[in-house]
Amino acid sequence: MTNPLHADHYADRAVQQRVTVLENVQLARDTYRLRFEAPQLARQIVPGQFVMIRLAGCNDPLLGRPLALYDTVLSPSGEPIAIDVVYLVVGKLTSRLAKVSPGQTLDVWGPLGNGFPPTPAEHLIMVAGGIGQTPFPALAQEFLGSRTYGSPPRSVPRAGRVTLCYGARSADYLAGVEDFERLGISVRISTDDGSQGHHGLVTDLLGLELARVSRETDVTPQNWEINPPPLQNGDPAELMTAYPGTRVVCCGPEKMMEQVAKISALLRIPCQVSLETPMACGIGICFSCVAKVRDESGNWDYKRTCVEGPVFEAEKIAW
Amino acid sequence: MTTPPPADSAPVDLSVQLGRLRLPNPILVASGTAGMLNSIGLDNDGIDAFLEHHLPYLATVGAPTIVSIAGRDCDEFIAICAQLEGHAGAAAVELNISCPNVSHGVDLGTDPALCAKVVAGCRAACSLPIIAKLTPNVTNIATIAKAAADAGADAISAINTCLGMAIDWRRRRPLLGNVVGGLSGPAIKPIALRAVYQIARAVKIPVIGIGGIATIDDVMEFLVAGATAVQIGTANFYNPQGTMALLDQLPAALAMLGAKSVADVVGTLVVP
Repeated sequence: MTNPLHADHYADRAVQQRVTVLENVQLARDTYRLRFEAPQLARQIVPGQFVMIRLAGCNDPLLGRPLALYDTVLSPSGEPIAIDVVYLVVGKLTSRLAKVSPGQTLDVWGPLGNGFPPTPAEHLIMVAGGIGQTPFPALAQEFLGSRTYGSPPRSVPRAGRVTLCYGARSADYLAGVEDFERLGISVRISTDDGSQGHHGLVTDLLGLELARVSRETDVTPQNWEINPPPLQNGDPAELMTAYPGTRVVCCGPEKMMEQVAKISALLRIPCQVSLETPMACGIGICFSCVAKVRDESGNWDYKRTCVEGPVFEAEKIAW
Repeated sequence: MTTPPPADSAPVDLSVQLGRLRLPNPILVASGTAGMLNSIGLDNDGIDAFLEHHLPYLATVGAPTIVSIAGRDCDEFIAICAQLEGHAGAAAVELNISCPNVSHGVDLGTDPALCAKVVAGCRAACSLPIIAKLTPNVTNIATIAKAAADAGADAISAINTCLGMAIDWRRRRPLLGNVVGGLSGPAIKPIALRAVYQIARAVKIPVIGIGGIATIDDVMEFLVAGATAVQIGTANFYNPQGTMALLDQLPAALAMLGAKSVADVVGTLVVP
């Protein structure tokens, strides 16, 4: 018997283990890629899921921290054997994590959360702000058909086009751009200070990308605008979209995700957001990571980001 | 605790008697929740949803279910107890008269007369074993425990979280939504040990130790201090499989003291 109120992605199948660090390399300012050996976890995890990481045998900080799957690492024979996560140094744990060397151990439990649904998309637009690019290398490869994830491997119809819109404070914070470029996807960059790419917000990049798609001509920041498609029969529920097959996935600061959700709703483009909330356990028992999520009738209730998310339909979030 | 048990040790009886409630072992998972500071409160669907959805499921997992309840006032505690009466699957009820994030709860657990009133009311309303969960945020926790025992509580559980606070001084803002919150985890273990020791000396009913318990050494310290059982809360957050490990380690730890059962070590602290 299962609890009927349990989330679909309850942590019953997660494993807790002590893992060995293989690499911990700096990618950008205050940003590192951590690789640890975890074959079972690497076989199970899918894009958008996360792991909890804690310094082994250390009670300061006491609690673990959630970090999204950046990618899995394959052995020469093609078997998933290790996990990559990318983190920004923000507080005590990430500061100490940055000093961890290969051979040291960490306590890890996962895979956790629901991950991005394998919903088909002709054009997948990934919108990332700050350190929000981290769930997307795996997702991009899955939609490009170049990698599979999960056990058994989940099936995702190949997308015709994958685009990354990635905004950061400044050029020195951009982490992993070459990883995305290597995949052969379109990478569009914005920075708050104009030190690289578009001088402005990543939401501008999304608007530009959508304007470009609808016109299939050159669009510049000076001439782009978003026009909602006309409703047939005046019924928004029809989801008649000007962007058939387009799907937006988003991860970043809350205000940015809210704006991306608004743009997507205006154009009736399906949009999923991956929330980042303060999280203590990652397995659904502490209720610290709750977000306001609407039900079918439009009323909101607190949902746990760890087991009922972190990926939610953007239209369901009560921002 | 790395020393293996003596090879010729007899099997150790892990079962414990909490008043009328018999448990197969003394390691319990705590309700709700260096230290952890929270102002989460008690997020739940209410007693009706609990009885309809959660309790039938919990009855199937193979461990006795102690229902930890909180009401906004004395009458609500009693009403919930009355609703629990007769529900198969509930082995006992724990009265959380001590959650620092639910202000009325603190009031009931900080005054001996109010504590006695809510325990007596619940005692009259339901026949399940009643456990009173106490707050450490009082001058004399033994007085409160004695009031609960005299009013008919079958056991005392202690402690709930210690009131605490965290501040972002750069922004001059509290870090918790409720300004102050409850501190738990290893940081409060010495406070909890002291409280359990004081309560166990003051009352005849069993005490369940709570507060920063994470290792087998912690478990043994609480048993020796006078706890008949322990609850693991915060450690579940940072070591999800740790509670099961404690159960595996317990027989060897008891054997090290030559104990044949948990009861053999409970309250055996030698104070020079």
